[in-house]
Amino acid sequence: MRTEKSRSTSRKLSVIVGITATALALAACGGTGGEAGGPVDGEGKTLNVLMGVDNQYPEERQQWQTDIAAKFKEQTGADIEWETYASANEELTKIQTSVVSGQGPDVYSLGTTFTPTAYATQAFVPLQEEEWASVGGKDRFVPSSLGISGPDDENQVGIPFVSRPFVLAYNTELLAAAGIEEPATSWDELREQAKQLTGDGVYGLSVAYGDNYDPWKYVWGMSAQAGNPLVEEKTATLDDPSVLEAYQTYFGWLTEDKVVDPAAVGWTNPQALAEFAAGNSAYMLMTTSSSLPTLEDSAVAGKYEYALMPTIPPGATERPADGVEAASILSGDNLVVADYSQQKPLAFEFVKLLTDKDTQIEYYELFGQLPTNAEASAELEAKYPELAPILESASKSVGTPFTGAWSDIQLALTNVVVQSVPGLSEGNVPKNELEARIQDAQNAAQESLDRVKD
Amino acid sequence: MTLTPHKSRTADNKAPRAAPGTDRGRERRRKGVTERNRPLWLLTPGGLLMVLVIVLPALIGIFISLIDLDQYTLRDWLSAPFIGLDNYIEALTASPLLYSVWLSVSYSLIATIVTIPLGVAAAVVTQNKFRGRGLVRSIFLIPYVLPSFVVASVWRTMFQPDGVINTTLAQVGIDGGLWLNGPQSYATLVLVQIWASWPFIYLLALSGLQAVDHEVHEASAIDGALWWNKLRYVIFPYLKGPLSLAFLLSILHHINNFTLPFVLFGVPAPADVAVLPFLTYVTSFQSFRFGLSAAMAFVSLVLVAIPLFIYLRAVKLDTTDDPGGKK
Repeated sequence: MRTEKSRSTSRKLSVIVGITATALALAACGGTGGEAGGPVDGEGKTLNVLMGVDNQYPEERQQWQTDIAAKFKEQTGADIEWETYASANEELTKIQTSVVSGQGPDVYSLGTTFTPTAYATQAFVPLQEEEWASVGGKDRFVPSSLGISGPDDENQVGIPFVSRPFVLAYNTELLAAAGIEEPATSWDELREQAKQLTGDGVYGLSVAYGDNYDPWKYVWGMSAQAGNPLVEEKTATLDDPSVLEAYQTYFGWLTEDKVVDPAAVGWTNPQALAEFAAGNSAYMLMTTSSSLPTLEDSAVAGKYEYALMPTIPPGATERPADGVEAASILSGDNLVVADYSQQKPLAFEFVKLLTDKDTQIEYYELFGQLPTNAEASAELEAKYPELAPILESASKSVGTPFTGAWSDIQLALTNVVVQSVPGLSEGNVPKNELEARIQDAQNAAQESLDRVKD
Repeated sequence: MTLTPHKSRTADNKAPRAAPGTDRGRERRRKGVTERNRPLWLLTPGGLLMVLVIVLPALIGIFISLIDLDQYTLRDWLSAPFIGLDNYIEALTASPLLYSVWLSVSYSLIATIVTIPLGVAAAVVTQNKFRGRGLVRSIFLIPYVLPSFVVASVWRTMFQPDGVINTTLAQVGIDGGLWLNGPQSYATLVLVQIWASWPFIYLLALSGLQAVDHEVHEASAIDGALWWNKLRYVIFPYLKGPLSLAFLLSILHHINNFTLPFVLFGVPAPADVAVLPFLTYVTSFQSFRFGLSAAMAFVSLVLVAIPLFIYLRAVKLDTTDDPGGKK
């Protein structure tokens, strides 16, 4: 897993060559498109697929798309037309126009937290037994990856494609020097370790307080571990004490415990990662396997490990009975098929191809995104033992509440942090101000839940 | 200055009416034309295009503002529940719309008022020929040429708590504090907007200065006008038209500028810089309340359009054939 950059590049190239060779070999062996032998005849048809753009590996993505299209053409005789979106805004605009006009992509690759919104539009095919069977059955997926496919087992629209669970990274040298043998498993233990690790220009934790995506994940995770899922039926529970405690813990690292660099109030996640990569902090919280290229090419190369983020809530030494072992939000991409599509069998055939074991392993080798296919996941774990914590986090990931109001709730949770940053910067976020902001968030969340239409 | 030609035109227009029927041929030619002898039907293609591009979308926007359109009703949007003025009432009473309009208008005004003297000064300085003038003029245009995204990204980096600005201030014993959140963030927005937009004023002022005839300079020199008097009483009147236009366009541009604040501060925005584009973006693309955001857009359009209309009438930009001003 942790190979030199050149080895990683050559591995990617060899995979690309491999896929191309396989596609060409299949093309040579196959007969005419119509007699390709695939279960769905797509001769003369074109499947339109929408995916997020890959800024990290654009060339590899281009090659992968070409190869997958060739493979699909061989299997079904159909062509693939790719479309990409660069931002959530563009993603939504594309969905809006397609939903309203009843034409557009047949298959969408959507972020997991966006799936509830997509579900709310009722513009995507509900997955019954027949649809699941057409993509190889539910059993082929890592069970936890299905946690955000729909509101419940009977109502699902999203087929898991890739997984990007959150973990922490720690500096093995700094922990060893401080006499710490194992990374923390509870938030309280993490704080104590961070205090031990802070000093001599090094901080215990790297935290991206200025990030627009990270903060709510801490609050949701700590609350879920304390037994508060934030939404129960159609009631928001942000006013539960567990939420206040989560925010106080999160801010307290900087204001009370002084285990975070004060400049972190302006950091985004990549900036926080850069500080960890420079050896300036012992722990990097809330990161994914996509941090590998940065860390492998940094001052901490060979001196870091990944581990699960704590799963015991603040103020506790063990998780309460109703607490959830939420190591990470269920993060990644789901595939959905448009209800207006005139070629649904072909679309599901394509989804099947993308979730096949071999395709999933190849996708990991190229882009570092974990498979949702159970066999592929097991094979990767055997092949790369160092992936174990990340795969374990994937299996212990928990879906955020599946409601069309989630986007508003997420925004409200983040807003509490954004409006608290001035206080954080001065080293004090007064409790009464924090409570007032949480109450505002609670009101916004409840109003949004009240608007949910079944 | 504009009244005279306008009046004379009116008088001309009335002339044919004073003597109707004197020439049958001319009478026939007048049929189907305006009193200014302009055949309005020639405007039909342009008019149709305007209806298609402006009026129709505006009407659809107003219709959307009257329905409960969100992610739940988007699929069959024409049958979304009709809720009358509810979206407008919510926008005005239960949303931060008015606060956002205030922030947008005030920051736009401040940025525009500061950039006008800067732009005029730069235009005056580079009016006379000197060695390297072309280079200086090119350098002046850099902020205007750079995409907003780049400008905002660079400033965001510099304004970080441990960024170059705070580091420099610390060297002279000043604690810079927080620039991208809290009360100072408003100043940051104004400052970056000024930096990015002053060359626009400079360009328009320069175009105004170039319209000053050489004879005017000579005449004022012969009259013995010193530089300030010449500038104040001879040159500046030429700039009234271009600067009035620049003022208007700047305000509109700042109010509508989404990229700059979005990249500088991100979403959700700190309360001190939660300008109008943030609010409509969040309402549309985070809360998916398309009906409410259409109502917000319409209300803010009206709120902004009224003073602008008054301004337009006051500076008579729309009542002269010559937007360049007095010549």
